Amino acid sequence: MKLYLYGVIEGVHQQALEIKGIGGNPVFTVPCAEISAVVQECKEPYSAEDTQLMTEWILVHQAVIDLAWEKFETVIPFSFDTIIIAKDGRSAMENLQEWLVKESTSLQEKLKTLKGKAEYGVQISWDPQLVAPRIIKNDAEIQRLQEETCQKSPGTAYLLKQKLENLLRLRLEIAADVYFKECYQKIRASVEALQVGKTRKEEPPRQMLANFSCLASKVDIAKLGKELEKITQIEGLFVRFTGPWPPYSFVS
Amino acid sequence: MEPTRTGSATLVDLLDRVLDKGLILNADLIISLAGVPLIAVSLRAAIASIETMAKYGMMRELIQDVSREKIH
Repeated sequence: MKLYLYGVIEGVHQQALEIKGIGGNPVFTVPCAEISAVVQECKEPYSAEDTQLMTEWILVHQAVIDLAWEKFETVIPFSFDTIIIAKDGRSAMENLQEWLVKESTSLQEKLKTLKGKAEYGVQISWDPQLVAPRIIKNDAEIQRLQEETCQKSPGTAYLLKQKLENLLRLRLEIAADVYFKECYQKIRASVEALQVGKTRKEEPPRQMLANFSCLASKVDIAKLGKELEKITQIEGLFVRFTGPWPPYSFVS
Repeated sequence: MEPTRTGSATLVDLLDRVLDKGLILNADLIISLAGVPLIAVSLRAAIASIETMAKYGMMRELIQDVSREKIH
């Protein structure tokens, strides 16, 4: 039998958790060396092409970690499908316990630093079409080209229009970069740690400018909320603020 | 502005975290997860369409079912 590892919690706990794990299996804690692991038994990795089933498993994984987080205050979450195996004549349980003993000091330190904190997702998007008028209004070169386009013959006007579009694209790229840096600095100043993730595709015309994972104190989250509120006041900018999540991005 | 954990968009946010992040164990103790990154890619694409579907309430039932599973 293998052990599916959800997370590690502080202290010595040996109990069944009031939740069904993936596949309906019981979830329990395994104490060792001042810390405990939250696990369930499993036979094989949970992998399926059925999207609905996979989604369900992922939601259960999250629900178990959430419960452990709520019940034991701090949790080090593991990635989906972290499964400990029996190896070299040692059972999965023995391997888990050996690993807990070996890593106890560093895991305890990690748990201490994460106490009272949570992860928050911040995604900032923009609609370039809404921002463009502001850029045009403040850009003398674009305005000059616009006027010139109106006065020229259709052939020249077409070329100028292309030039204008390229220039606007360039100005928007610069604006995106400036917005990213400004948002980064403001958000960084109101959280304990920040990680920059890959931007995701948004439904057009929106584009994601920044995808941040923030570690912040749960009681002090209003500070970040206020900064984000200011960003939403900027015409054409949109903020998605998710959480609190267990600190997935801050445990490596 | 208050953080939220409801709504379909948070499902993608959650997926990114559960599949790509979290602590990773020493490889010789765990099963090789060679197939998982591939699953993650296809699932992410599917979730994006789920996100669209969810706007019409199609995923609500599933999410509620999973929440109910939390309690015996």
